Amino acid sequence: MTVPLARKLEELLGKEKVLSSEADRLCHSYDATPLVSHLPEVVVRASTEEDVHAVLEVAAGEGAKVTPRGSGSGLSGGSVPVDGGIVLLTTGLIRILDVDADDLSVTVEPGVITADLHAAVEAKGLFYPPDPGSMKISTIGGNVAENSGGLRAMKYGITGDYVLALDTYFVDGSKVRYGTKCVKDVAGYNLTKFLVGTEGTIGIFTKITLKLVPKPRSKKTILALYDDILAAGRTVSAIVSRKIIPSTLELMDDVTIACVEEYAKIGLPRDAAALLLIETDGHPEVVREEGAKIEEACRENGARTVRVARDAAESAELFTARRMALAALARVKPTTILEDITVPRPAIPEMMAAIREAAKKYSLRMGTFGHAGDGNLHPTCLTDERDKEEIHRVEAAYDEIFRKAIALGGTISGEHGTGMAKSKYLPMMVGPKAVEVMARIKGVFDPQGRLNPGKIFRKEAH
Amino acid sequence: MGAAQDLSILKDAFSTLDVREYGDVLQCMRCGFCLPTCPTYRTDGVETQSPRGRVAMIKAVVDGRMDPTEEFSEHMYHCLDCRNCHTVCPAGVKAGERVLEARHRIEEHRPQGVVKRLLLEYAVRDQRRLSRLLAPARLYQRAGVQALVRKYDLLKAVSAGLSHLEAIMPEIPPRPLTESIPEEIPADGKEKGRVGFFLGCAMNLLYPEASRATAWLLSRAGYTVVTPKAQQCCGAPNIEEGERRVYGEMAENNVDLFLGKRVDFVVTDCAACGNELKSYGKHLGGRKRNSRYAGAFSEKVRDVSEFLSRALGPEVPFGPLEEDACFHDPCHLCHAQGITTPPRELLRRVPGLRLSEVPDAGQCCGSAGVYNITHADRSMKILAAKVEAIGKTGAHAVVSSNPGCLLQLEYAKRRFRTDWEVVHISTILRRSLARREDKGGSE
Repeated sequence: MTVPLARKLEELLGKEKVLSSEADRLCHSYDATPLVSHLPEVVVRASTEEDVHAVLEVAAGEGAKVTPRGSGSGLSGGSVPVDGGIVLLTTGLIRILDVDADDLSVTVEPGVITADLHAAVEAKGLFYPPDPGSMKISTIGGNVAENSGGLRAMKYGITGDYVLALDTYFVDGSKVRYGTKCVKDVAGYNLTKFLVGTEGTIGIFTKITLKLVPKPRSKKTILALYDDILAAGRTVSAIVSRKIIPSTLELMDDVTIACVEEYAKIGLPRDAAALLLIETDGHPEVVREEGAKIEEACRENGARTVRVARDAAESAELFTARRMALAALARVKPTTILEDITVPRPAIPEMMAAIREAAKKYSLRMGTFGHAGDGNLHPTCLTDERDKEEIHRVEAAYDEIFRKAIALGGTISGEHGTGMAKSKYLPMMVGPKAVEVMARIKGVFDPQGRLNPGKIFRKEAH
Repeated sequence: MGAAQDLSILKDAFSTLDVREYGDVLQCMRCGFCLPTCPTYRTDGVETQSPRGRVAMIKAVVDGRMDPTEEFSEHMYHCLDCRNCHTVCPAGVKAGERVLEARHRIEEHRPQGVVKRLLLEYAVRDQRRLSRLLAPARLYQRAGVQALVRKYDLLKAVSAGLSHLEAIMPEIPPRPLTESIPEEIPADGKEKGRVGFFLGCAMNLLYPEASRATAWLLSRAGYTVVTPKAQQCCGAPNIEEGERRVYGEMAENNVDLFLGKRVDFVVTDCAACGNELKSYGKHLGGRKRNSRYAGAFSEKVRDVSEFLSRALGPEVPFGPLEEDACFHDPCHLCHAQGITTPPRELLRRVPGLRLSEVPDAGQCCGSAGVYNITHADRSMKILAAKVEAIGKTGAHAVVSSNPGCLLQLEYAKRRFRTDWEVVHISTILRRSLARREDKGGSE
């Protein structure tokens, strides 16, 4: 196949940065989202801001579509090039430009791996709290584009709460630098807040400044097991009503517990109905006091057993079950479809019940784990993509689950993004007027719809 | 790579992946957790150089969405088979093993080069043949030619590749261990049992003194050490290169031979051999003859550290060695066999030895069989990262237990001028035990 687009890009950027073989294209046709993939025409691995600019210029000249991609660990199809065109990799922009310990901020390029950023700032006694599950491979650019969450969101918030400033290229090749290191900055419209979470449909970030906080001095980990998932739900409310915001408050249901025990044999009772993993962090005195109150809340609300970690090693041990959750579920069947609905905390038990009913109604194996502290749940369906009939049932079950989440005042996605996977539900979620406003905004920046097409806005049925 | 291949035949070859293997490919949920630990992704930073990418390519070929072209074959050979991906994969996908399966299907259907056939179908069958093949290299080193070549960099002018090959060439001992080790060494003291000593080709030829130490340690631990002369190569090089016919014959020979000697365990001091021997049960499973026995054989196999950490009881006196040391985990020990604690436990028993952890422990050194020759540039990048990581420990003794790693790390000494002693774990353990016994004798 002759690829004039690839040739043009090669002339401008050099052969090394342009990948266009069959294998190159295949390996950039997917991300971590099940069931979706599409071949790009060509892949470019940018390593400087100038590369990004050059690609956008060429694309503008050719009318080519551009899909930005970090490590491809997203779960909403955000980096799948559904309309072909150019996949623009930001994984070569990997400089940590400045860790400012005096002003508590860090400035990085978008390809920096989240865990590498953690290590770099923690070496200076600082802390960047957002910790998405894929942080060992996800890029900061991807995190900002998807506004990723993580385990620590209840206390510390999500990626968007830490973004101070962005350098952003728009699809026409123009660039905007907005934001400062100042916590207070209300100059004009807040473009930083707007750009976070636009899923690569508005612009491509080339420089990102993030807020940091001091690293917590100590933490305490508690694991509680329940015979009844409602009791676990009551415990969550009881903790919050004691005016405690844990740094981590994770929930696992019976199916997940059984799968973890089956896979890892770590001594969990297979008949337990729910598990809560709770961690509080901060000043040692505060942690001690909060730890005691959390333990009390667990016991008073019918926990079958409560374990409090005495040291870091035991804390790591208590985290084992939660760390294993996805692995244990993923091994059961060939295809693992993970969703991320979110509901207000008090509605968690009702949502859990609805998930269970949907799984039963459609005869599916579904385990649920998630971040009970912020209401973000991951109903995970264990299925087989080759079984088309079952996949239809999976879709039907998720349809009911999404509707229920919306009815309970929740949302269709807490941290994975809308992307391709949930664009169908966006109008139901936010209303047609809001979608129209979004489309108008998109039109201002990208009238031809060339930047990350097919995401957020549902394609008209063919 | 070599001769062109018939695409249609290859396509057929890939259309028949059995359920288990294809299941593994399907099981990949593309989460990308394998990317940050894969040495080739770490050096190259592109998806085609990742386990997830390799699995995607295999799946596309099996599903008929991509042809098994020369490009595909090359990608299957970019993998070092370090199995870091096996350790981290949440879904339990064995990407490394699937890559080896793909190599097998490719090699079965294309003409093989003469050198490769000579090595994989002839030389590896007999340790003496292998040893004779090294005769010219020994002469080259002993007659002083090597010193001249290295001093004046004579090969640079001929070819960069040849020059690199010469540079990584280790000093070859005059005699392999098979020529001097008795078939049976009695247990030191009361016999606890009998172990078969599987002597890997590279250990035998290049590190005979380390393997002599292994045999000494096994005897010292109370076991009669049986080293059958008729043992053949474990077959790891064949599996790595997709060759399975001669592999099967050699494996069956080894199974028969060791089971016939009625040993309680089969111990090896080569991590790559250890992994291969433990895989006989799985790899020979489909063959009629011996498949039952292969499983029983594999059950008996132990790595030297795995075996000694139990066999050397608390009563065994370790002598002091003042040494800053680190343990470099061979990939085929830590990822393929899941062994990380036993070598460390043993080293910590040596009084005076200060063991530190290499910051990127579990990362490959880039040796990977012949990878440092076939993919020299990338191998050197991987090695440079490893040298930097080891440098951070301040260790003087770099301990490992796989001949490929030892060779690569010794080459690193010359190339990066590091002040190390690269040493097999058996050598250092023997040194410690011998020191204590010397003292005991003199006092």
